[in-house]
Amino acid sequence: MTTAQASSDHISLLISRSKISTEINKTGSWCFVRPGYQDRTAPCSAACPVGEDIGRIEMLAVQGLFKKALETILQENPFPAVCGRVCFHPCEGACNRGEFDEPISINKLERFLGDIAFLDGFGPSILNLPNNGKKIAIVGAGPAGLAAAYFLTRLGYVCDVFEAADAPGGLLRWGIPSYRLPSDILENEIQRIQNLGVRIHCGEKLSEDFLIEAKERYQAVFLGCGHGRSTGMNIAGEQMAVDGLKFLYRIRNGEKLPMQGTIAVIGGGNSAIDIARSLIRLGAKPIIVYRRRKQDMPAFEHEIKMALEEGVQIQELLSPVRIDQDGSDYILSLQEMKVGEQDADGRARVVPKDSKTQSLRVNQVFSAIGAEPDEVWKVPPEKIPEILTLSHCTITQQDLPIVFGGDLTNSNKSVTDAVASGKQAAMALDTLFQKGWENINDRLSECRVGNSPALSMEIYMGGDRKNRSRHIVAYNEVNIDYFQPCNRVVSLSVPLQKSICSFDEIDHTLSTTGAMSEAQRCFNCGICNGCDNCRLFCPEVAVTLEDNKRQINFDYCKGCGICVVECPRSAMVIEEKKV
Amino acid sequence: MKKVIEGSHAVSEAVRLARVKVLSAYPITPQTHIVESLSEYCADGSMDARFMCVESEHSAMASVIGAASGGVRTFTASSSHGLALMHELLHWASGARLPIVMAEVNRALGPGWNLWMDQTDSLAQRDTGWIQLYCEDGQEVLDTTIQAYRLAEMVNLPVMVVLDAFFLSHTYEPVNVPDQEQVDRFLPSYVPRIQLDTANPCALNQMAPPPVYMEMRHSTQMAMEQVPRLFKQVEDEFFSIFGRAYGPVETVLCEDAEIVMILTGTAASTCRQVISDLRSKGEKVGLLKLKMFRPFPTELIRKILEPIQKVAVVDRNFSFGASGIFAQEIRAALCNYPEHPPVFGYITGLGGRDVTPEILEDIYWRTRNNATPKAESQWVGLDQEIVES
Amino acid sequence: MMQEIRFHGRGGQGTVMASIALAKAFFKAGYYVQTFPVFGSERRGAPVEAYLRLDKKKILVRSNVYTPDHVVVQDYRLLQTIDVTKGLKPGGWILINSPGLPDDMDNFSGYRLACVDAARIALKHNLGTRTQPIINTAMMGAFARMLGAPPIDTIAEAINNEIPVKQQQNIEAAKDAYEEVQLYGMVDSLQTEGTAQSKHIKNPEKVNLTQVEPQLRRVAS
Repeated sequence: MTTAQASSDHISLLISRSKISTEINKTGSWCFVRPGYQDRTAPCSAACPVGEDIGRIEMLAVQGLFKKALETILQENPFPAVCGRVCFHPCEGACNRGEFDEPISINKLERFLGDIAFLDGFGPSILNLPNNGKKIAIVGAGPAGLAAAYFLTRLGYVCDVFEAADAPGGLLRWGIPSYRLPSDILENEIQRIQNLGVRIHCGEKLSEDFLIEAKERYQAVFLGCGHGRSTGMNIAGEQMAVDGLKFLYRIRNGEKLPMQGTIAVIGGGNSAIDIARSLIRLGAKPIIVYRRRKQDMPAFEHEIKMALEEGVQIQELLSPVRIDQDGSDYILSLQEMKVGEQDADGRARVVPKDSKTQSLRVNQVFSAIGAEPDEVWKVPPEKIPEILTLSHCTITQQDLPIVFGGDLTNSNKSVTDAVASGKQAAMALDTLFQKGWENINDRLSECRVGNSPALSMEIYMGGDRKNRSRHIVAYNEVNIDYFQPCNRVVSLSVPLQKSICSFDEIDHTLSTTGAMSEAQRCFNCGICNGCDNCRLFCPEVAVTLEDNKRQINFDYCKGCGICVVECPRSAMVIEEKKV
Repeated sequence: MKKVIEGSHAVSEAVRLARVKVLSAYPITPQTHIVESLSEYCADGSMDARFMCVESEHSAMASVIGAASGGVRTFTASSSHGLALMHELLHWASGARLPIVMAEVNRALGPGWNLWMDQTDSLAQRDTGWIQLYCEDGQEVLDTTIQAYRLAEMVNLPVMVVLDAFFLSHTYEPVNVPDQEQVDRFLPSYVPRIQLDTANPCALNQMAPPPVYMEMRHSTQMAMEQVPRLFKQVEDEFFSIFGRAYGPVETVLCEDAEIVMILTGTAASTCRQVISDLRSKGEKVGLLKLKMFRPFPTELIRKILEPIQKVAVVDRNFSFGASGIFAQEIRAALCNYPEHPPVFGYITGLGGRDVTPEILEDIYWRTRNNATPKAESQWVGLDQEIVES
Repeated sequence: MMQEIRFHGRGGQGTVMASIALAKAFFKAGYYVQTFPVFGSERRGAPVEAYLRLDKKKILVRSNVYTPDHVVVQDYRLLQTIDVTKGLKPGGWILINSPGLPDDMDNFSGYRLACVDAARIALKHNLGTRTQPIINTAMMGAFARMLGAPPIDTIAEAINNEIPVKQQQNIEAAKDAYEEVQLYGMVDSLQTEGTAQSKHIKNPEKVNLTQVEPQLRRVAS
């Protein structure tokens, strides 16, 4: 420090004044730890089956960069508008904000971005590799098959998709009622896949022979044709029960099916819920009969809640034993069950409660206890030498590489897991062609999002995301001093009395302001959003900002770590200086 | 032009005429009328200045400190609790040697909640390094405010122009409001000795460790010591243009007086009438009006009081556990003289209590009829019924 | 000789404004003036006071007014709660805004009384509302007539400069009040016994007797 004395009219004026900067004092030599910028993995993206870069998507949405946000989704998922409606959003369960107040409405934001793409007519531009001359056949135009075609095409392959039905979409088109997924939304997203050059051949039901023919024309086959046949109940009178999946198909096909009276729906999955809620809309009084407890139902919690609100009854701990006809009614005999020990996956096992039975008189019985492959060649073989079982698909290589994917292999039979399967298959096949069979596991492992099985195509294709640390940001790593409690956004919906009278979509898409303020709530865990705290707080002014990039000048950084502590979103790390 | 205006507006007119560039204040009765009219001047364009709205008096002072460091003329005003809240930054303003001018309307501090005249608020800031000038009427308020800029900028010290709540701030009387051209002649545009400049950056008022701090404080005192001399220079120039001057102290009929009464503010004006009435009864009494309290014009006061037999100091303030603050200062000024008159201290007019001609006469007679003071301070006008209740 | 005037009014009646405007009018007429309100916790309708000092030379005294030469009462209903004659010098004028003579004049003996129906005049000139007439400019006119100063022209000029709206109507009101004010003169202290009706007004100096109406209207209290 220096003092300066000026003089005017002999008046003493002595104050401290300094023109010397601290530049000469290179405090960096004192430093024994070094801070650094390191984007890290947000827990939401690790929880997402397709590993979407959610923290970054919300960051772009806050800035109003909707097209970029959409492109970030499309790196990992061709179906934002679809998944924004039907995904069971495990991301929200993992959201760090949930510990602070309420998780971010990631699902609603994805829907907003998916919808605005079509409203605003975005022509998204994402990296696609040039045609490499290889052709892949894809069986089934459901979410797995279409995703496989989408990702393979982006990797430079020519894809032919064969679909038995007369329109693409698979379960998305036939299995999910339109009040959850309107068909125009689906068609828009399929069209975007087709725009990439994917050829979809509808009405082509293939047989096992196709695998032999395909050798001549294709370098690989992806089987994503799903489960075409409802699982049997193995009870007397089963043939009197209506196949629930076929019922949903007929509704989506535009058939008018007026229903009345009491109808039993046997099952506890999403299909059972979809059937019951569709029955309400057609005028019937559905009762779901489930052998375990309500909390054990595999259906999504939100769907169960909606069904109950709409008037669906659920009777738990009842296992059907036979169906009898009585005039125009049916008598459903039910074995009462009780909760036993827990089974391996943590669900409570149920066992018959003595020999107590009860009967339920209904006008119709629907079955919805699950589905299975309709033909044996669609089941992955066992005990062959060249077989590789991955989290979301199984690859065999005999004469021709064949990937079994989607519901054929997924333990979690969700739309988003189906997309994950298509993506994993695309990466596995590409690695197979590029680097050989033995490198598939390692190469895919490099593309994992955090520690989860989810894979990132952006990482696979060498995008910026490959620099992201695998470390998943925990809640206690977020500096919550920088955030104000704020409730999550609520989307508008059609009133219940009205919604149960039609198959029109119930929830509205968020408004632009609603979406932006919801995105604003996001901690952006592990992702630098340029808040500049590091630069503003640095006591040595050692953080520089040029061309919107921050850098640490280690001539002056003394390793105090304030920048790391004051980073609200844990996008900085500090480590011991290497000698 | 002579106009009938309020005391508060005499300040506002002066600030407008001084071409102040940055103003910041927080409203408080009885100061509010000052900045209210100034904010209107800024809004209607009759002042080319920026009025910064702030959330507290502390921020108001911080704002003008910042603006003054940028090298522009600044103004703020406050009162009582507001001034107390500024306390920390009053030290800063003087330590940073910034020529800030503030109007301070004397008001009592609570509790009990009181909006009225009392000098304890400004006197509690006596050690902050501000020049303090006490005013008697609207004309003096206007003139002193204009002079304050000249003085502050000469010595690089802040100036507090002090006026009585209501008895002056809210009183309308004829005031000669000078022309802009005349004021410009007296008060040229400000040439700062301290000015932050982005083209030539520097840091101001950073750490001053033991080896320099004392020298800095000494430097402030050196500047303070020049104030009486420079104030005279300022007043001489002012007089040559406007024909009015006041002096750091003013004496009325002191030459042959046996007793001199010392007063400040509006009570000094009332006392002029009392002196005149007593003189007509043959009493040898004079008035010493104290205008400049910081720096304390010790030499001048010694000279005036040396031949006097008794001194009566009227304090509208009180330092608890001691006495009236003006009386303390007068005693301190005289004590090193081998022969000096006894100083009678009187406390009256606290919290808006009126100082009437009758009270001042009573004070005169008490002084006249006692050889020596009975106590350091005598409280005049106490309601015995309340005191004993 | 310095004159001191005390104004009694209610918060919101423009009492302070009237004292300021009057001061400015007197200043125009060559007086040195000093006026200030008694500052308290005012609110609308609460009694307020303001002081006005007038002199031909500079006024030195800056304390409150305790022994006014004259008082102005902006609302006759204040007489019920306030002793407006407190400290009033004998022979001083009491100007009251009242439609007629006040009911109880026991305290007024030895003072000179003037009344003006300022509310009616204000309403005639569309100043304020029936419940809240703006009477201060009318009172100024009456005051000027009562003291014989300042000239009504300076009153008009002060109103023009001080009152932000309806200057012309305010000036008209002041002029009407100047004409209409009833200057009853000295209240006879010897004849204030018995009922109020028995009181009468002694011939005042400067008062034209023809201005006193034969039937004095009484004000209901």
